[in-house]
Amino acid sequence: MNDLERPRNVFLTGVGGHGVLAVSRVIAEAALARGFDVRRSEVHGMSQRGGSVVSQVRYGPRVHSPLIARGAADILVSLELLEALRHLHALRRDGILLANEQRITPAPIGGLTVAYPDDPRGVCEQRVDRAIFLPALDIARELGEEKAANMVMLGAYSVLAPEIPEATWLETIATAFRPRFRELNVAAFGAGREVALRSAGAGAAP
Amino acid sequence: MVKRLLTGNEAIAEGARVGGALFASAYPGTPSTEILETIARQGDVRVQWAPNEKVALEVACGVSLGGGRALCAMKHVGVNVAADPFFSASYSGVGGGLILVSADDPAMHSSQNEQDNRHLARAAKVALLEPSDSQEAMDFVALGFDLSEKFDTPVMLRVTTRTCHSMSPVELDPHARYEPVLRPGYERNFRKNVLLPANARVRHEAVEERLAQLEEFGNHERALNRIEWGDRTIGVITSGIAYQYVREVLPEASVLKLGLTHPLPRQLIREFGAGVDELYVVEELDPFLEEQVRALGLHPVGKEIFPITGELDPDRVARGFGIEPLGAGIEPVDASLPLRPPVLCAGCGHRGVFYTLSRMGVAVTGDIGCYTLGSLPPLESMDACLCMGASVGMAQGMEIALRAAGDDRPVVGVIGDSTFVHSGITGLVNTVYNGGSGTLLLLDNGTTAMTGHQEHPGTGVTAEGDATIALDYVAVCHAVGVRRVREADPYDLEALEAAIREELAADEPSVIICRAVCRLVDRTPIADPAELEIECPGCGTCFELGCPALDGSSGQAVIDPAVCSGCALCVQLCPFCGLRIHGHEAVVQESVS
Ligand SMILES: Cc1ncc(C[n+]2csc(CCOP(=O)(O)OP(=O)(O)O)c2C)c(N)n1
Ligand code: SF4
Ligand code: SF4
Repeated sequence: MNDLERPRNVFLTGVGGHGVLAVSRVIAEAALARGFDVRRSEVHGMSQRGGSVVSQVRYGPRVHSPLIARGAADILVSLELLEALRHLHALRRDGILLANEQRITPAPIGGLTVAYPDDPRGVCEQRVDRAIFLPALDIARELGEEKAANMVMLGAYSVLAPEIPEATWLETIATAFRPRFRELNVAAFGAGREVALRSAGAGAAP
Repeated sequence: MVKRLLTGNEAIAEGARVGGALFASAYPGTPSTEILETIARQGDVRVQWAPNEKVALEVACGVSLGGGRALCAMKHVGVNVAADPFFSASYSGVGGGLILVSADDPAMHSSQNEQDNRHLARAAKVALLEPSDSQEAMDFVALGFDLSEKFDTPVMLRVTTRTCHSMSPVELDPHARYEPVLRPGYERNFRKNVLLPANARVRHEAVEERLAQLEEFGNHERALNRIEWGDRTIGVITSGIAYQYVREVLPEASVLKLGLTHPLPRQLIREFGAGVDELYVVEELDPFLEEQVRALGLHPVGKEIFPITGELDPDRVARGFGIEPLGAGIEPVDASLPLRPPVLCAGCGHRGVFYTLSRMGVAVTGDIGCYTLGSLPPLESMDACLCMGASVGMAQGMEIALRAAGDDRPVVGVIGDSTFVHSGITGLVNTVYNGGSGTLLLLDNGTTAMTGHQEHPGTGVTAEGDATIALDYVAVCHAVGVRRVREADPYDLEALEAAIREELAADEPSVIICRAVCRLVDRTPIADPAELEIECPGCGTCFELGCPALDGSSGQAVIDPAVCSGCALCVQLCPFCGLRIHGHEAVVQESVS
């Protein structure tokens, strides 16, 4: 299905400095290029210093609110596991979780780290019927740049969003970043897309 | 025309260019900061960071008087600082169009209060515009300049965090060339621009006439105020971002969408009220529209079902209307998940100062900036943080009260460099003039860190990126009459404490300047990461620094070398001399002694 009857609600989350906002920007720009109405919002208070970052993108024939109603997100894209847990309730009951397997321990406060949840993946799988986990960091490392993990996640997202053709994604990525990162970003996007397609083909989620 | 996705702030910047602004000024403040940053990047309109909002607006008033269009941006509390010129500029009116952007912060994402500045526009009797998305943010700036000149009034463009930081499509003309709109031929106009009482009395009459004309304009100008007729059983009056939520939640309802919210188009409101069965007002924060609609003899439902505090969102609007939750979501994960609260960066120069103060049993009046984090555990060494610049005056006032109560605890004021320039200097003049004897710590990290690292008069660089004369803090302090001015290295704990003790002992006002460049401005490590050279016995002394590079959860200190900047604070604290830094022998030896 290449057209949308109602807005698609994408909730993105992660930790400051890991490129959540870049992913949400590319999704928003690609949706605009595809001819959809778009709203995007972000909360980036202390993002430069490793805080939680949230961004929301909505696109469709006509969109009004930049904010997604609670429990109305179609897809939750999380670049980090703890942040996925924190925002799980943004998802509709039949929503899809797309999460990077990376764990980033919160900075210690007064020398004390609060224990990272034991089995974040298990908790997600228990609550969400369609949960997809990707080793985006490993994939990006293989490509030679950890920072491209966010583009791996974008590639995986693109598989879940057939309403935006692959060519539109590639054009958007090409214009969204400085030329010297273009090749890397396209490679990371392609790798993420491939992994997601493969897991879809293998009958796992989605 | 091309469609581009812009944040509200970027759209306002685009509006300044399209609207032919000659000049824009600002003092940074979330959520407004990116407006001036974007205008500066575009490189057309001339831009300035001002030392504070009052000066920003006064320069803009001068540009307007001289015939150029000027835009001045600030966060909501900034308008309090700029209120004096703002209220009187209303009487003078304008030469070139004048827009004050007030970026309000409902829900206080990054503010000390959530005041609703629509009241200030009304009190100042100026035109008030409230855009509800980026397209309107851009259009209302261009339109606002026209309105400003046509009705001879400053215009307040009131936006909120959600409009500032949300993106939506904006139609742009890619071939539009920047051309400042100027009113040439400036001539002195004593009766209008010199607000002596005799002139101001006449001007007030003009202001009231202007409001009547603006209201009439607002009754008919569809680009600003329009009725969207739908199902007539429910009619909603709304403005700003709340309009988007109403449209989302009640797509069928009739809506009166207000863009010009002061003065209100009373005729249009009456017409709308008469055309619907049940009337509602949906607005963020105060019942600003609601009370005025009520005064017309209408009976809207408003704040009894919609919250007066915090932000609206689709859920809160739906709940107010008694609509089922919009989403049927997954249960939240109830386990107490570890948070990622803001902390001072590893190696931040503010840390040593607050660590030292936390050991000294002094009262600390604080101020606003990254250093406000010194009030949180484990440093917890700030007694108050009120508004920008308040640390200085409050220190002196507190000293008066403590002494009267027979309490001889010393009082220390702590202020950042940008905040000192903003409004600390006048406080210091007061301390000297009125015989205070406290000590002020001026934390000079060479930037306005809290709001994203803007230049300011102390950094020696302008908003346009040019080198300029940097404010000389030592000279300023001397000039206002502080005789005891010294510098202390915030990375040298012993020397810092000694300096503070010495200055507190002196029976006259003193300033200690603690200089350490913000770690996000200069990211080069200060030295190699700290290393443990012994089996850490886990005494926990160094954990008291609250450094994010230092993890003690295992009972022993573990340093993350990727995060540690080599500031050596922990090295100085370790009572077993077990922490070392390569090339920092001097400091280590001192801590041994
Ligand atoms: C009147 C007013 N204007 C602007 C702000 C936004 N604001 C908060 S802190 C700050 C400046 C902080 O800079 P500085 O004092 O240098 O401290 P730093 O964050 O660099 O440590 C600003 C502009 C505000 N809170 N109040
Ligand atoms: S941003 Fe700069 S001033 Fe703020 S905590 Fe980090 S180092 Fe300190
Ligand atoms: S030297 Fe110690 S206090 Fe300084 S950044 Fe490194 S771990 Fe933190």
